[in-house]
Amino acid sequence: MVRGDGGIIIERVFVSIRQRPIKKQQLVPAGLLLFRDNILSKGNIFGTNSKARWAKGLELPAQAETIFFAGCGYQFLEEAEAILSAVRILDKHNLPWERTFGATQFLNKRGINLGDLYGTIIRRFRRADNPLLSAVEVLRRMDMDIGYLAEEEPCCAAPLYYAGFQEEFAAQAEKTQAILKKRGITKIIGMVPSCTFALRTLFPRGSKGGQMEVSHFLEIVWEKIKKGMRFRLPHQVIVTYHDPCILSRYLCLAEEPRQILRSIEGVVFNDVERCKEEWSTCCGGGGGFEVIFPEISHTIAANRVEELLKTGASTIVTSCPGCLIQLREGVKKLKAKEVKVMDMAQLLHSALPEG
Amino acid sequence: MSKAKAYKKRLKEAARDPKISVALKRAIESYRKNVDEALKKFPHTLKLAEEVRGIKEQSVSRMEELTEQACEAIRQNKGKASIARTPGEALEIIEGIVGTGKLIVKGKSLTGEEIDLREHLEERGNEVYETDLGEYIIQQLGIKPMHLLAPAIHVPKEDVAKLLSRVTGKKIPPEIEIEVATVRGILRDKFFRADIGMSGANVVAADTGTLFQIENEGNIRLSTSAPPICIVLVGMEKIVPTIEDAFKVAEVTWRFAGYTVPAYVNLVSGPSKTGDIEKVITYGAHGPKEMHVIFLDAGRSKLAQDPDFKEALFCLRCGGCLYECPVFAVTAGRFGDKYFGGIGAIWTAFVTGDLTDAAPLTYSCLSCGRCKVRCPMEIDAPQMCLELRKRITAKGS
Repeated sequence: MVRGDGGIIIERVFVSIRQRPIKKQQLVPAGLLLFRDNILSKGNIFGTNSKARWAKGLELPAQAETIFFAGCGYQFLEEAEAILSAVRILDKHNLPWERTFGATQFLNKRGINLGDLYGTIIRRFRRADNPLLSAVEVLRRMDMDIGYLAEEEPCCAAPLYYAGFQEEFAAQAEKTQAILKKRGITKIIGMVPSCTFALRTLFPRGSKGGQMEVSHFLEIVWEKIKKGMRFRLPHQVIVTYHDPCILSRYLCLAEEPRQILRSIEGVVFNDVERCKEEWSTCCGGGGGFEVIFPEISHTIAANRVEELLKTGASTIVTSCPGCLIQLREGVKKLKAKEVKVMDMAQLLHSALPEG
Repeated sequence: MSKAKAYKKRLKEAARDPKISVALKRAIESYRKNVDEALKKFPHTLKLAEEVRGIKEQSVSRMEELTEQACEAIRQNKGKASIARTPGEALEIIEGIVGTGKLIVKGKSLTGEEIDLREHLEERGNEVYETDLGEYIIQQLGIKPMHLLAPAIHVPKEDVAKLLSRVTGKKIPPEIEIEVATVRGILRDKFFRADIGMSGANVVAADTGTLFQIENEGNIRLSTSAPPICIVLVGMEKIVPTIEDAFKVAEVTWRFAGYTVPAYVNLVSGPSKTGDIEKVITYGAHGPKEMHVIFLDAGRSKLAQDPDFKEALFCLRCGGCLYECPVFAVTAGRFGDKYFGGIGAIWTAFVTGDLTDAAPLTYSCLSCGRCKVRCPMEIDAPQMCLELRKRITAKGS
């Protein structure tokens, strides 16, 4: 996989990281191996040293009844977008992009953290508009008393599950559950669909008792709206919604986001075709596909954006960091400059009532 | 180049080919429309599909016994039946019947494709004609099928015209009607001159030994009835207990294949016979004098024993899942080996190949889960792909 030219050193590094011969893992795509190694060594998919930079200045307490589970996908949204975009360019030119993953590991071993490096560069050029900031603001305005474990936030390990590393997933799940239990956490609000699915559905499968109440952000918002909370956009916007597969098909949350959109004053909601029940189309980023087949994943993303734009919408709303990146890339590929892709949290934030 | 690398390259090339994505876009649209209309017209189909899932569950757990029963029933009908445990055994049996220097007409058969039947027979000095229009095009172009039911889905009429002009030595215009008539002309006398006709079957009734063949073109009908010898190769998983069950399976299969009502459903239980002269039963009246059925195992019985994967054997091969797969929509049959899509990964792992062949396929699944929503058997291919990933990572450790 990540062998080849100059691969001997890298291979040695790999063997030492994994404690087993490389041969057995050759069938697993490099991107998924990188995720695994990052999770096992650093507790996050990007293998960076810090995940909580986005929350600087928010002063979210570490102790609270309800914990806001930010998740890797959102915490490293900008980094992921930049890396994927670079990988796609390499893949399109048939360059051996998988080797960059090997290099990441190699550098990591020597104390150079590419994820951190990317993050530093990106933050310098881009304004902070991470959906997590919007979500926290929205939850605060709903008078939710939320905490955030920041650097201590354990990993949901979902990428291990999707890559097939069952033992590693089970071990990480146990570790994560122990951390949450020790801190006396009983309620969790998940942001990333796959984290939420892992915490809510996959974890209980392997453990005995000690259930936590895991909600997705959208469920919390919809409950508040049902109780009378109102959102209003300053200007009218034509919006369509993209269902993240894990939300619609695995967590059965397809109706709630639509109800939310319909309730926001100023939103003209045009639903996409084939959205009922479980028929929605994947953005092309499921199951780690985007780091296995970056170019094809991009094509699938553009196909999905095409479907969504048939609604006449100028804004595509979704609720998953993976989908966000895919759809943004899809929009770029179609050169649909006027189209905006937003996270539901961002839309809600811009529609918060005054005061 | 490693298998995985070669596969990636093929997949990428397919995704860059506008012919594939344009053809698939059209095919997906018309498939969805057809199935929606068919289900509206025959709303009992969904309930029937549930019943069929029950039938398949039962049949797969009794596969060995039902195969024996089907063989016995076919023998009683004066047909010949055998079980081939490996592709090699199947080819040997067929070779024993066919020999060499024969003219063979063939209906489209995925099971035949699975064991490279046509190529094998050609190598043994036989002249083999694929008679399904799409499959004929594929054969003449020397390429691999891109879809279960529409193998030449990615070949536009202009390319077909070029191909047929080359085959006939005459200028054939890119008009579909003329193209169809041309192939009809080419194959017409082959059906009647052929020494042997071959086909697969969509479902088999164990109690009566009846083979069900669903088709629209009429080529299977001609292939299995005009030549003096008929050979049918069919996977063991296609057998269900009774002819009543088989009708149910057949109806669900064709409806989810997008045929509201197929033009033909052939029911074949034995060789052609007559008792019209002095009530003496004589074989080979208008149809074949000999009928041979070969049931193929090739990993199916092992798959039936595997609780995580046996569901793959419920597959009716309607192809519905493929129309819902976003990866298939841009890569067509390149996302697969002999069998396509997520379900194809499972079949590759157990039947046509091994874990190393299946690995790149199982990592091509988005695990988005829409195939399962479409599948009349509700086969959870994405979950099985994840299970397969587990087996891959656990391999040898």
